[in-house]
Amino acid sequence: MSVIQQVTRDEWRFWHRTKLAATIIIIGTLLTLVSGVVNTLEMQHASHEREHLQQSAQAQFLEQPDRHPHRMVHYGHYVFRTPSALSIIEPGVDAFTGTSIFLEGHKQNTAMFADQRQASGMTRFSSLTPSFLLQVLVPLFIILIGYASVTREKEAGTLNIMITQGINVWHLLLGKYFALVSSGLLMLLPLIVAAVWASINGESALITSSFVAGYILYILVWCGIVLAVSAVNQKNSASFAILVSLWIVLCILLPRIGSSSAAAIAPSPSKLEADFAVKAELRKLGDGHDASDPAFEQLKKNLLTKYNVDKVEDLPINFRGTVAQYSENKLTEILNQFAEKRMQEELEQAYIARQFGWLTPTTAIRSFSMLIAGTSLETHHRFLREAEKLRFDFVQSLNKVHQDNLSYEADANRNKNADATKAARVDAANWQVLSEFSFKPDTAQTRLLRSAIYALQLLFWCGLIVLLLRFAVRRIS
Amino acid sequence: MQKDMIVASSLCVRFAQQTVLDKVNFNVGQGEVFALLGGNGAGKSTTLKTFLGTIAPLSGTATVMGMSVSKDIDSIRQKVAYLPESVMLYGHLTGIENIKYFLSLADIEKSAPDIEQALMRVALQKSAWCRPMSNYSKGMRQKTAIALALLREAPVLFLDEPTSGLDPNAIDEFNRLIATLAADGATVFMVTHDVYGACQVAHRIGLLDNGKIVGMFERKDQAHIDTEEVHAAFSARSQQ
Ligand SMILES: Nc1ncnc2c1ncn2[C@@H]1O[C@H](COP(=O)(O)OP(=O)(O)O)[C@@H](O)[C@H]1O
Ligand SMILES: [Mg+2]
Repeated sequence: MSVIQQVTRDEWRFWHRTKLAATIIIIGTLLTLVSGVVNTLEMQHASHEREHLQQSAQAQFLEQPDRHPHRMVHYGHYVFRTPSALSIIEPGVDAFTGTSIFLEGHKQNTAMFADQRQASGMTRFSSLTPSFLLQVLVPLFIILIGYASVTREKEAGTLNIMITQGINVWHLLLGKYFALVSSGLLMLLPLIVAAVWASINGESALITSSFVAGYILYILVWCGIVLAVSAVNQKNSASFAILVSLWIVLCILLPRIGSSSAAAIAPSPSKLEADFAVKAELRKLGDGHDASDPAFEQLKKNLLTKYNVDKVEDLPINFRGTVAQYSENKLTEILNQFAEKRMQEELEQAYIARQFGWLTPTTAIRSFSMLIAGTSLETHHRFLREAEKLRFDFVQSLNKVHQDNLSYEADANRNKNADATKAARVDAANWQVLSEFSFKPDTAQTRLLRSAIYALQLLFWCGLIVLLLRFAVRRIS
Repeated sequence: MQKDMIVASSLCVRFAQQTVLDKVNFNVGQGEVFALLGGNGAGKSTTLKTFLGTIAPLSGTATVMGMSVSKDIDSIRQKVAYLPESVMLYGHLTGIENIKYFLSLADIEKSAPDIEQALMRVALQKSAWCRPMSNYSKGMRQKTAIALALLREAPVLFLDEPTSGLDPNAIDEFNRLIATLAADGATVFMVTHDVYGACQVAHRIGLLDNGKIVGMFERKDQAHIDTEEVHAAFSARSQQ
């Protein structure tokens, strides 16, 4: 056995015999395992719930009796997004944004959680997701296991004996490094299992292996930090204090500072402010429910000219349905403008926050992990856009039914009496306007391309670790 | 007998403003036990550390087996065994495991009988061999470290205060062990403040005071160096 292997083996023997380190390794591994399992169960439950809700929402919509088509526009329906396979490890923004949207006329609703129970569940677990454990707690475990790996030998004087016996300090440090890395990898085990599971469930193998590789790099970085700090300090206590401070700065403070400075550098208007601006814009459009609103005068004129008639009553189409389509179109344009602007702002902020990956490996792995898993802001925005397209199509199909299948006269008189109301209906067969919503994950290529820069950040950290270890070796020799 | 296993010539060491070693000269021959005697802060450990390459001298040279510490420290380290003042091997390992581990770090393979033989030679009681070192006494740890040196076949031993903290019986036993090692050809350089012990075991004693060698005492025909004489010189110095 080489010297490196001997050192690695002895490190493991030490952990085994001094029960403390072994306990930490076991606790760390179990904790990630349990959180992985809990999260998987939670997600499975949510996914069943979602399927159930989706089906019943759809069925309810289709089962509606003959009605006025605009009532169906307001009846609305739900769409749900199936989360990506890797979100059992990395829920990403899903934990905050929700995965279902209520689609209805004249409104773009925000995404929400499938049900209240899950909402509270997600916020409760969002702090203890496997990704949080892996990104924040595993480094702490590595610190607890490894802070004394070199200082302990200094305090005991065994390092001195080794050096005067002529050991190659690189061999010593590499041996300890491999031991520490192997204990860290043990805590990645649940992640690897999840990745295999995701592959079996149709996730691209390229994605799952990149996902695991990213976390391995992260472990390599933290093991390097821990070992280097232990190597340049003389006392266990000093090494521990420095490492815990580093942990607080790198895992807790800098990522926070990252997101708050993003908000400061690229401020976005508050929701209230934004809503106000939208309202103001929309008011100029006129009320689509009221065909006599002056805002639609020009539309009316054009139509009368086109069909060469004098009154709207003589039009071959239901003018009220035309107005509904026209105003939904205008309104959607404005809503989309604001939505795109907001998404742009969110992306800018996310992008600024992600640059903190050059300052802390925790932000680097977080960005990488979300982008690879397909639970990033980008994916969520695509969901919003696709859901919006679906909403628009569905509302406009109903408005078209309104225009084409319901006479203007019946429509205009619908509030006169009960019989008139009955007459202002269209056949329930027209409710078959819902198209299947299936949200596809981003392709492997897209996700790999998007996350490339964050892989680069992780590699940058690995390079830094090599330099740090070289410095440590010089200090010891 | 080779005269120059360990040579210090005009060694000077300074820490910040303080001259810790001032033109120290001596040489130790093969099979010789040389004791550097001095009070606290005289510069004994510093001398030892310059030979181990952990302290660089300001001027002068230190050589071991003809190799210069400043140039060939890696080759020197293959040849020397160092016992720090408090020998602490790994508490979580047994005596035998400690020896095996340190041998493997030096890339040396020894059979189990070889290891047992070495432990017999240093007279470590058999019952302790397979007990964790955390409950060894200092004497037992020292024996283990010497067994390790034997197995490494290190021709040169550097010992820092080897008898401090040992009981009188253990000191006698230790001195006998050092004598047999030297008789078998090992070169022993030890630093100590124990006048009596040094006189018992050493062939020659260098008296170090304030970074200077202020006296050399040699065993001539007698079995020991004259304790009275050394003691007189030592106390005269410490009273100044
Ligand atoms: N690393 C160091 N830095 C500064 N001064 C030191 C250092 N090591 C030793 N000294 C000083 O050098 C002197 C000799 O120390 P040392 O060789 O350890 O003495 P001793 O003879 O007791 O072994 C002491 O005054 C000590 O304070
Ligand atoms: Mg309406």
